Amino acid sequence: MAAAAAAAPARSEVLSLFRSFLRTARQFSDYNIREYTRRRAADAFRENRALADEPAAAAAFAEGKKQLEVAKRQAVVYSLYAPKSKSIMEMKLQ
Amino acid sequence: MALSRRILPVLLRRVNGGGWVAPALSFSAPARALSTATAAAEPPPPASDEEESVVVKGVRISGRPLYMDMQATTPVDPRVLDAMLPFYLHRYGNPHSRTHLYGWESDAAVEEARARIAALVGADPREIFFTSGATECNNIAVKGVARFYRDRRRHVITTQTEHKCVLDSCRYLQQEGFDVTYLPVRSDGLVDLAQLEEAIRPDTALVSVMAVNNEIGVIQPLEEIGRICKEKGVPFHTDAAQALGKVPIDVNRMGIGLMSLSAHKIYGPKGVGALYLRRRPRIRVEPQMSGGGQERGIRSGTVPTPLVVGFGAACEIAAKEMDYDHRRAAALQQRLLDGIRAQVDEVVINGSMEHRYPGNLNLSFAYVEGESLLMGLKEVAVSSGSACTSASLEPSYVLRALGVEEDMAHTSIRFGIGRFTTEEEVDRAIELTVHQVKKLRDMSPLYEMAKAGIDLKSIEWSQH
Repeated sequence: MAAAAAAAPARSEVLSLFRSFLRTARQFSDYNIREYTRRRAADAFRENRALADEPAAAAAFAEGKKQLEVAKRQAVVYSLYAPKSKSIMEMKLQ
Repeated sequence: MALSRRILPVLLRRVNGGGWVAPALSFSAPARALSTATAAAEPPPPASDEEESVVVKGVRISGRPLYMDMQATTPVDPRVLDAMLPFYLHRYGNPHSRTHLYGWESDAAVEEARARIAALVGADPREIFFTSGATECNNIAVKGVARFYRDRRRHVITTQTEHKCVLDSCRYLQQEGFDVTYLPVRSDGLVDLAQLEEAIRPDTALVSVMAVNNEIGVIQPLEEIGRICKEKGVPFHTDAAQALGKVPIDVNRMGIGLMSLSAHKIYGPKGVGALYLRRRPRIRVEPQMSGGGQERGIRSGTVPTPLVVGFGAACEIAAKEMDYDHRRAAALQQRLLDGIRAQVDEVVINGSMEHRYPGNLNLSFAYVEGESLLMGLKEVAVSSGSACTSASLEPSYVLRALGVEEDMAHTSIRFGIGRFTTEEEVDRAIELTVHQVKKLRDMSPLYEMAKAGIDLKSIEWSQH
């Protein structure tokens, strides 16, 4: 891991990270976790958009990358144990 | 016809294509549709994939219900699970093994978790002791303190709305000869501070008041209670299982001497909790578990590393997410309340609205029977009364302590909103609840009479 303070991430990198979060969120088999991942990622990126100084932005980006790794692993684990019946919220309206 | 539909799956097996075939057992009769030959009972075949329905206790539900019972327990956060898994896979050492890597890494993980929990409540890591849950913590706190000081102190004060484990421990102490004062609460659920101050005697060993009530969600004035206890020199214990990670807790600002914490209420694993014991001034307890002296002799037994690591991770996440979650819960609670009130009247909120944790909404619907309402709400997982008392048909003692009348106490529903609750779930819960309440009220003669202006209390029901 680079010891030197990283420069603030480029706009394209941030967008790419955000898109990865949304992609990973879609892979969750659990309705609640899927919605939470999407929503929390969107809110976090929106909140951190205003971060002006570089070290804070770089730290937030690094944190985001770490969380993405966690999300990717957990998406796999959740799909391995997905129950047969889905949540009521995902069923067609009756 | 419906009966044969239920018997058929037991006797015969459904095949692709929709026909029925007898299982390959020794039957006297050949495979015939509608055979009523008795057979060894077979479990009903799993429902076909298009249906995706679940049959539990004779009720067919079309999918997993939406979960709104966060006070009973919470789902494990995926980030917590991620932290725990390595300790079930390759880092399985006993943290008390001092001689090899497995023990060392396990111990390091436990100490890191301890520090995270301490940071969330403003304590020192040496003041945190791991237990099996908040019930065990409450037992240690109440019985342990009372017994340790039994020569000089013979009195314990608690409230009528405490969790069953605290009340039961106090009853146990009464059998040992202690005096226990069960303070009443006001109709909004808050304890009366003047009454508390009066009740404290020179020989009071402990004051125990829970931080956030699990049934009604009311937040007690911890700072004021802590101040009173400090002035009188009495240890203050609080059961903060529902409060941890949801409302800010600072043991020094609130003058807390002992605190019970639970992991599975803040998106952590079940089976682990922590007891906070103040060091300055030192609170002593008599240990309830004898053994190898782990956790500084306070609680013997191997510390369950994966669970403790999960607890630590849950606390770390809670520290970061507390504001976000709180704002969301408040907004969702308002949405739920407004949505229900817009469509049904005579809805009563149990407990104070100002001093409330927003994720807990306990509502009573007048002229509706609670059990029938719950039976109709099988697509929403809610509870009436707390999980501990729902086995009995008695109305909840907490609502009784608030002064809620029997009929309103019976019809109370507790909605729990948490980190993972969505707006759509709240909207669906509103829809289902309103539909069910209206249906039951249409059938209710009491509602008709009340709408006609008759005062139900003035009716003299005929004695047979």
